[in-house]
Amino acid sequence: MPIDTRIARRTFLRGAGVAGALIRIGLPPLEAMFNTSGTAYAAGVSKAIPKRFVFWFNGNGIPEKYWVPRETGADYALPSCLQPLAPYREDVHIVTGLDSAAARLPGPGNSHYPSMSAVVSCKTYTGRGAGGPSIDQVIAQKIGGDARFRSLQLGVCQESFGESIQRNLSWADRDRPLPPEMIPHRLFDRLFGVKEPAWVSRQKSILDAVKDQTQALQGQLGVNDRRKLDEYLQSVRELETSIATLPPEYRNAVERPAEAMDLRDYPRIAKLQSDLLVHALASQQTHVASYMLTKCQGLTRFPWLGHTAQRHHEYTHGDVETPRGMRTLRDICRWHVEEFAYLVGRLKATSEGDKTLLDNTALVMMHEHAEANAHKNNNLALILAGNAGGWKTGLHTRTTGTLGDLYLTVANEVMGAQVKAFPTAERTLSEIV
Amino acid sequence: MIKLNLLFALPLAAQIPDFAARVYPLLEKAQCRACHNENGVASASRLTFPSEAASADEVRQFGLSLRRLVNAAKPADSLLMLKPTNRVSHPGGERLKQGSSDEAALREWAIHLASLPENRLMAAGPSQKLSVVLRRLTHSQYNNTVADLLGDRTRPANRFPAEDFVHGFTNQAEGQNISPLMAEDYARAAAKLAKDAVRSGALAKLIPCEVKLPGCGAQFVRTFGARAFRRPLTERETASFEKLLGPEFNAQTVVEAMLQSPGFLFHTGTGTYTAASRLSYLLWDTAPDDSLREAAAKGQLTTPAQIEQQARRLMRDGRARLALNQFLVEWLRFDRVRGALRERRLFPEFGTELVHSMIEETTRLFQFLVWEDKPFLEFFTADYSFLNTALAQVYGVPAPESEFALTRFPAGGKRAGVLGHASFLTLTSKPSETAPTERGLFVREHFLCQIVPPPPPGVSTTLPVMAEEKPMTNRERLAVHLSNASCASCHRLVDPIGFGFEQFDAIGRYREKQIALIFPPVDAKRKNVRRDGITVELDVDTKATILGVPNSDFSSPAEAGRILAGTPACQRCIVKQFFRYALGRAETEADRPHLDEAYERFAKSGFRFRELMLAIVTSRPFLEEALHAN
Repeated sequence: MPIDTRIARRTFLRGAGVAGALIRIGLPPLEAMFNTSGTAYAAGVSKAIPKRFVFWFNGNGIPEKYWVPRETGADYALPSCLQPLAPYREDVHIVTGLDSAAARLPGPGNSHYPSMSAVVSCKTYTGRGAGGPSIDQVIAQKIGGDARFRSLQLGVCQESFGESIQRNLSWADRDRPLPPEMIPHRLFDRLFGVKEPAWVSRQKSILDAVKDQTQALQGQLGVNDRRKLDEYLQSVRELETSIATLPPEYRNAVERPAEAMDLRDYPRIAKLQSDLLVHALASQQTHVASYMLTKCQGLTRFPWLGHTAQRHHEYTHGDVETPRGMRTLRDICRWHVEEFAYLVGRLKATSEGDKTLLDNTALVMMHEHAEANAHKNNNLALILAGNAGGWKTGLHTRTTGTLGDLYLTVANEVMGAQVKAFPTAERTLSEIV
Repeated sequence: MIKLNLLFALPLAAQIPDFAARVYPLLEKAQCRACHNENGVASASRLTFPSEAASADEVRQFGLSLRRLVNAAKPADSLLMLKPTNRVSHPGGERLKQGSSDEAALREWAIHLASLPENRLMAAGPSQKLSVVLRRLTHSQYNNTVADLLGDRTRPANRFPAEDFVHGFTNQAEGQNISPLMAEDYARAAAKLAKDAVRSGALAKLIPCEVKLPGCGAQFVRTFGARAFRRPLTERETASFEKLLGPEFNAQTVVEAMLQSPGFLFHTGTGTYTAASRLSYLLWDTAPDDSLREAAAKGQLTTPAQIEQQARRLMRDGRARLALNQFLVEWLRFDRVRGALRERRLFPEFGTELVHSMIEETTRLFQFLVWEDKPFLEFFTADYSFLNTALAQVYGVPAPESEFALTRFPAGGKRAGVLGHASFLTLTSKPSETAPTERGLFVREHFLCQIVPPPPPGVSTTLPVMAEEKPMTNRERLAVHLSNASCASCHRLVDPIGFGFEQFDAIGRYREKQIALIFPPVDAKRKNVRRDGITVELDVDTKATILGVPNSDFSSPAEAGRILAGTPACQRCIVKQFFRYALGRAETEADRPHLDEAYERFAKSGFRFRELMLAIVTSRPFLEEALHAN
């Protein structure tokens, strides 16, 4: 197959993977390859480098004492939880003081649930799930369309507990969760699995039959049932878009993570998932992703930190008011930031054009509460990283806006998604752009 | 003349307060619905709100129905006015400020209602029709169905995204979303199943004719399709699969496509095929067998008697036991027992094996009562259980003759029924201590079917920290719940239940006293001294009560069990829970007569669970479409 000369101007991925092996592969962007039949290797249409968005989450809140910088502006001292960000200080913006107003509207659920609904969608918890689409999905609807996957959902801590609102970060709409893929080798197969052209055409004909029958059945059903089949149809269509033959370079580009690995070794899984995410973003298989390190009200145990007597949520309430308990929570939240920093580092180590992938990516790191023990919903503290649209970095800013203000500002001013409105958003946060 | 009427009518109409626009919102703002709903803690009171999704018509009807709470002679002294303002004792406290404009608006409505003749309101009952909802195969049904269809026992759905608990169960239509990831998993599983069916030769056996013969393709599509879809295929479906099959007789492709089709993934049958499918998936957790399919084809599943006959047949099969276990697993939230973690220093015996034993004990009691046709209320009162050596040690009773043999508890003991089981006592505890609030909540929600409202927004849920100088029992720590008005309105419904279990610790061991673990603050000069904390023994007060249930004072699991077993709300809750599980949805107003009927049959049989199952599977809501076809 002839390769367009422009492909030679490759995007190089560099950096040490978890296994320690140096990854050095050339990956042409995939966007053009999947625009029509999905099988054509139609490389060559040179487009502007797209912007990417990553919505990043860890469960439970933070110990503010060890997390929120005392000073604002550029000369703030990194508190102990934020130490892992030291190498990327100029690439991050710590934003505090945001109000998660939707968490306090009257609504069902214990306070973690409404808080979670509020931080993903800025809408009230429904009793089952988020009250509306999450911000990553709102952005994906606008800018995700031409990629192989409109959006990707990744997770790490494979705890089996919990309700829908605790286990899902991305929501297509009210009560419509998009569960994360938490197993690295399965994520690899979705992104880089070998697919022969014959398989692709066969798969397309199967899905054609499925679509045809789904539409036929819809005619016989009532409104609610039709909605359910509609959702299936939509999912099948997205699946169809993602069916594709990867060009040969891709097949051997990334090493497939082992199937047999300790599924509780979260630090290792977190890094493998980050590696795969970086590849997916670099090769433009997707422009929007959500990354759920731990669950809302998470119950992770932390053998690698030496904290095994209790689980995360219990650590946020039990003896947290004693100095010993506070230090435990500090260690835990520093680990979250460490994993976030790992992803930031990998994006920064990946060059794209004459910049880095981090320069074309906006990341928002979130948790459902500020001070964990108090389930605090005002004064939320989060981290913005990367730089997809020239937002401000290298700062700590205390603001008075709402989370909705921040999201809408990111969606429009940074990602250029042209979103008309977002719940609780009233103004552009000029402090960040 | 007409004009004249209008002239008179208009000013009058303008004076009628607008219930939907003015009054209903203020009742919503006051959160009356949180307790006054079909499954609320105030469900036994005379006020029940329509669902949140109520239509304008239902809201209007509801507004008129409040007439019941109005004193026609003195509207301002109606219960409708006195309760929400807490002028007479109201468990929910003062929801409307006395003297507020909201109170005035409600008073106007009460005055309006008082002016209406009562007979005009009698017919204003809610009108709702039965709802049939589209359900998909649960993960477990998917596994069993492909095993029956293709002989594949790899349980592929175990790797699908987890299912959500809605209304207490994971099989509820409302919770069955299909995300793109799920669709991809369906596709992947279908591809592997079809491929393996070719390899194993299973597929060859399913082709009923010589492939080269004309018409064989259509025959294969129709016969295999009818089994996969649990109903005959439509013409359009047959045509589209025949096209996929092609002249090459690509059976693998057809199987792969069928396993991703809505006909396979969803329960889409009508008439007797629905009846066969619903019966079989509820009672066996898998697709109908030959005999059921035949009955459906012959239209022999249209009367309750025919359906009961088939149901009895299915219930005699061992598959029925396995299938019903899933109901118990979810009703009792065994997933939370499995996910429990215990402080090792306090509970060294706690581990996977003990967890397994706990679940086994409750399962055995449940199966014994259901399948040996014992009175099911013994689930709460049994003075016997099924123990193994490990559990006997935890319970402090002699080891049984054989593992999980029926063992009687000492007479007059405090442990009896499921409330005395380690499974219940563990899943409602925290790693190092019991959680009376959780235990009370569990009793309310799972055994009384009453939803307790969540903490109001913005409230601190922190409890006082234990200090060495002032150790506190759980009751003392939770006292803040009852002394703070906004917490108390709900916590008085749950905490006082949980206190009755306080002599049973976080893994269900009996204890005379509460053993509290206290972490002292670190002394700057003597770092690392006693870092692991100290334990103190505290006297426990187990005085408990279930607010809203008459004569419900108790002080042990055994006494609590006796009260629950004798409480209609609990007996009816068992019916509701099984209804939700069987129908895949919450009950609605329209289901109430059918629930009542099922309850009557259950009660009349002396609470035999099998009778309840039969009552539900022959009820109109369960078989709506099949019976409709009759």
